[in-house]
Amino acid sequence: MGGSNPRRSRTAHVALGRADYGWTLDLQRALHGRRRTGEIADVVLTVEHNPVMTFGRSGSREHLLVPESELRREGIELFEVERGGDVTYHGPGQLVVYPIVDLRDHGRDIRRFIRCLEDAAIGTLGEVGIDAGRREGFPGVWVDARKIASIGVYVRGWVSLHGLALNVAVNPAHFAMIRPCGLSIETVSIVDLIGKTVSLDRIRDLFLAQMEAAFGWEFEPTGLAEVLGTEVVR
Amino acid sequence: MHVEIRLPDLGDVEEVRVVGWLVAGGDTVNEGDDLLEVETEKTTFVVPAPSSGRLVEVAVGEGETVERGGLLGRIEPSA
Repeated sequence: MGGSNPRRSRTAHVALGRADYGWTLDLQRALHGRRRTGEIADVVLTVEHNPVMTFGRSGSREHLLVPESELRREGIELFEVERGGDVTYHGPGQLVVYPIVDLRDHGRDIRRFIRCLEDAAIGTLGEVGIDAGRREGFPGVWVDARKIASIGVYVRGWVSLHGLALNVAVNPAHFAMIRPCGLSIETVSIVDLIGKTVSLDRIRDLFLAQMEAAFGWEFEPTGLAEVLGTEVVR
Repeated sequence: MHVEIRLPDLGDVEEVRVVGWLVAGGDTVNEGDDLLEVETEKTTFVVPAPSSGRLVEVAVGEGETVERGGLLGRIEPSA
């Protein structure tokens, strides 16, 4: 790391910290619109969400294993969104990465884009001593038969929205409320595998370094107001 | 002559599943309008209209699989 690499394009990374899903969704959609018109360049958001269940375009309510009243009681929000895939959970202890990028600048290849995201997660996990990989036909990142990172993306006008969620230290009771991706699979977090704590910020920094290599970027920590050109109310 | 709507080249993607149409048969569309959503690799991709006109044929329905370059529908170009 260190000095700037002239062969890499400087790309904005906005660290949102902890944020509600709905607020972040509105923000993503606004940035997506601006990326499509070319008003802004590629931007990557990282965030840790407050507890939420989201249903993708292939989402089935049958894969929510508890009544919605229980979600409300637990303070877990519920959204239906445009991304691909079924139901997923986001919450504290999970790194969520939203790359809002024009895929025409990155090979115009959906599969390659997904693989780049998966590779960034696999590389990150390798850095903390976890041997993770892909499962053919099941996008996401796996440690043996357990899922550690989920993918769900939306592409309109060749610009991406949504992204990847990597479990760092997620409440297993919340995962137990869904059948992720409609599959009878177990999910797992980094801390379950390494047997000690690790900060979300550390995992985020490792992930960003992997993304820089995969996409030919050099991230510039950027404030939201700077990207939007306006003050932001949260 | 009708304009064929074909699955755009999505890169190293062999087939997609149709999520659903965003316009109905008979509707008038403008070039670039969102026509339908397809899904592959946990990614929803929005297929735009290749030209302006009337959607006269919907060749694939929700849940159907379409292979690389497959026919999705036809547009009768506006005069």
